[in-house]
Amino acid sequence: MIKMKNFKRRFSLSVPRTETIEESLTEFTEQFNQLNNQRNEGEEPPGPSDTSPISPSEGEGQTPMAVRYRNNTQRRFSMEDVSKRLSLPMDIRLPPEFLQKLQMESPEFPKPLSRMSRRASLSDIGFGKLETYVKLDKLGEGTYATVFKGRSKLTENLVALKEIRLEHEEGAPCTAIREVSLLKNLKHANIVTLHDIIHTERSLTLVFEYLDNDLKQYLDNCGNLMSVHNVKIFMFQLLRGLAYCHGRKILHRDLKPQNLLINERGELKLADFGLARAKSVPTKTYSNEVVTLWYRPPDVLLGSTEYSTPIDMWGVGCIHYEMVTGRPMFPGSTVKEELHLIFRLLGTPTEETWPGITSNEEFKAYNFTQYRAQPLINHAPRLDSEGIDLLMNLLLYKAKGRISAEAALRHPYFKSLGERVHLLPDNASIFSLKEIQLQKDPGYRGSAFQQSARGKNRRQSIF
Amino acid sequence: METSLPAVPRGRPAAAGRGRSAMVTAASGRRGCTPQRREPRGSPCRCPRPPARRRRPGSGTAAAAAAASPQELQAFRDYGESWYRSRKGLESRFQPREPLARQPQVTAEARCKLVSWLIPVHRHFGLSFEALCLTVNTLDRFLATTPVAADCFQLLGVTALLIASKQVEVHPPSVKELLSLCCGAFTVQQLHNLECIVLLRLGFDLSAPTISFFLEHFSQVRLQAQGADTAEAADARILAGGIAELSLADYAFIGYTPSLLAAGSLGLADRLLGHSQPLDLRVSGYSEELLRDCMEQLQLLVSLNGQSLPLLLPREVLRKCPWLRGSR
Repeated sequence: MIKMKNFKRRFSLSVPRTETIEESLTEFTEQFNQLNNQRNEGEEPPGPSDTSPISPSEGEGQTPMAVRYRNNTQRRFSMEDVSKRLSLPMDIRLPPEFLQKLQMESPEFPKPLSRMSRRASLSDIGFGKLETYVKLDKLGEGTYATVFKGRSKLTENLVALKEIRLEHEEGAPCTAIREVSLLKNLKHANIVTLHDIIHTERSLTLVFEYLDNDLKQYLDNCGNLMSVHNVKIFMFQLLRGLAYCHGRKILHRDLKPQNLLINERGELKLADFGLARAKSVPTKTYSNEVVTLWYRPPDVLLGSTEYSTPIDMWGVGCIHYEMVTGRPMFPGSTVKEELHLIFRLLGTPTEETWPGITSNEEFKAYNFTQYRAQPLINHAPRLDSEGIDLLMNLLLYKAKGRISAEAALRHPYFKSLGERVHLLPDNASIFSLKEIQLQKDPGYRGSAFQQSARGKNRRQSIF
Repeated sequence: METSLPAVPRGRPAAAGRGRSAMVTAASGRRGCTPQRREPRGSPCRCPRPPARRRRPGSGTAAAAAAASPQELQAFRDYGESWYRSRKGLESRFQPREPLARQPQVTAEARCKLVSWLIPVHRHFGLSFEALCLTVNTLDRFLATTPVAADCFQLLGVTALLIASKQVEVHPPSVKELLSLCCGAFTVQQLHNLECIVLLRLGFDLSAPTISFFLEHFSQVRLQAQGADTAEAADARILAGGIAELSLADYAFIGYTPSLLAAGSLGLADRLLGHSQPLDLRVSGYSEELLRDCMEQLQLLVSLNGQSLPLLLPREVLRKCPWLRGSR
């Protein structure tokens, strides 16, 4: 506590001759004010914004218009003054009549930036407005968001509306901030598109393109028996999306079948980037639900805090296996069980397969049985030898040895897809090539059935 | 004023005070960067601290320069070039455009004061240099869109810090902690409201390329070269980090892109440390002239902050900077 006090006081050192924290703040503010006065008294005639009132949200179509600042250059400050005169609105949730009044006055504002006017015109045609979207069924509910199917009145297209509650102690959730800010820089045929962001009073709604299924449902719908050709096409798309992310130093961190969305054309898109930039993946959500461990690499399970691209590649291997065999590779429910399942199949790691493992305290504490690695082909007999080789390169204990997404796309396993798949521009779907076509999955049960079977529960786990 | 060096700065970069008197922006901005305010010990994030905050031991500019893991090295070999290209491509989109030009109250000096405060604050919370860079970028781009009153400028600072931390930190500081550093001048509701306003005004465009990224990149490139001197690379990286941190607070550098500042800081660090194998600055793709100008400006910044800079550096590196020693 003492340190803390010192620390606060140290800031005040920049404002010399101050005794207490409170005074320091007063002085901090006063200094700003003085500077401001100096400037106003000085050579500069006040710019247009000096005379007009200033609002922190002028020109923002969908935001509640804020209370304006009074630009009183002569004020004197005291502590009370500071808190009273804060130029930010105490509460931007104002009565609608008031907002309207303010909006009417907005044309007098200083010349808006061109981007603002552009945004205004976008808003005129309906972007950024909740009324533009009709809410249909609820698709899933999670800790910080609820997802609805919806329809855009502008385009008549189906959309997924991810409603994020903003009423948190800590303000806007990290997951939302990360997801939106990352997705805005990601434009790729294998990454879900964010169409629009709508801010309402208590929530933020992200409008995504709608895809009918996720990979988990897709597997359910085909009775967990996918055509091996389709597995290859899905794998290629998954790696393509991932290589694009990794090439931008963005990790997904939470790859699992439920986060891979698939439309009726068979286009696969990565979704849910909420964890993408967090440095550690939580084991539990805020509401204490367990996060699935099935796709998590052993190094992370053993407490590694490394933040690098290979951590996604393990999950890709698990998903590959799951598509080929129709069952999850390592369905552990605790960290220990998860590790046990991994070691039982791939062999308990040794210094050779995983340098440094024998000095890992956590590993030693578990005291696992010494298993020998089993040949993967025995467990995934439908996979050809190239597929097995790719799988083995993904499921390496030594993270740095795992094949990268970029290199995996060039793996001989994908040779049968032809050369042109490597030349596609980022935004082109793999199905824009006529030689790439899905085959009928042997276990497919038809679309009427799939809707009623699992539709309700879909994407539960994503959010 | 306590400034020890030229009160009248020499040729300012053009970007410093276009239209406005260069004196206000650059000079006062720099003078504001005076010592004292920072913790007297070398690396504040090292000293043990009372409960509350989990501090990452390896945080701050200094420790971030610690050798990369084999995993990271591999990822860099796989993707380093692509990371660089994509960040570089985003630079102009995220470059703040004269953030103070339309500000009736916030001045370059005020901005300097705020950033000079945010520097120890981010170290206090054990946040990364990346988070600090993002904070300042968010702050500047917001200032470019919205006039801000002087008395809520500090609130904007912590709000930007909160948003940046939420993007890149495992444990962002809590709203309560941030507000208590402002001595209770602002309420939770005000912070929430401002956060919302910032996010919307910037349209959630928050993942700006940072000096921190480019420092890392150029240092990695240097290490990949045959016969690289790893010790020199590490020292330069640390000193450059300190210089870059100072540059964030000075409005004179507002027009410089992060990649230029990173290259300039590394070049200057190599020069100041008298390295035998300095980084070949051509990797940055900038012309010699631009680099020279940037390094000159940074050198001036360093000489004006002879007392602050040591506070941003760990002892090991400080020992190699005799030119800074006198001021300690």
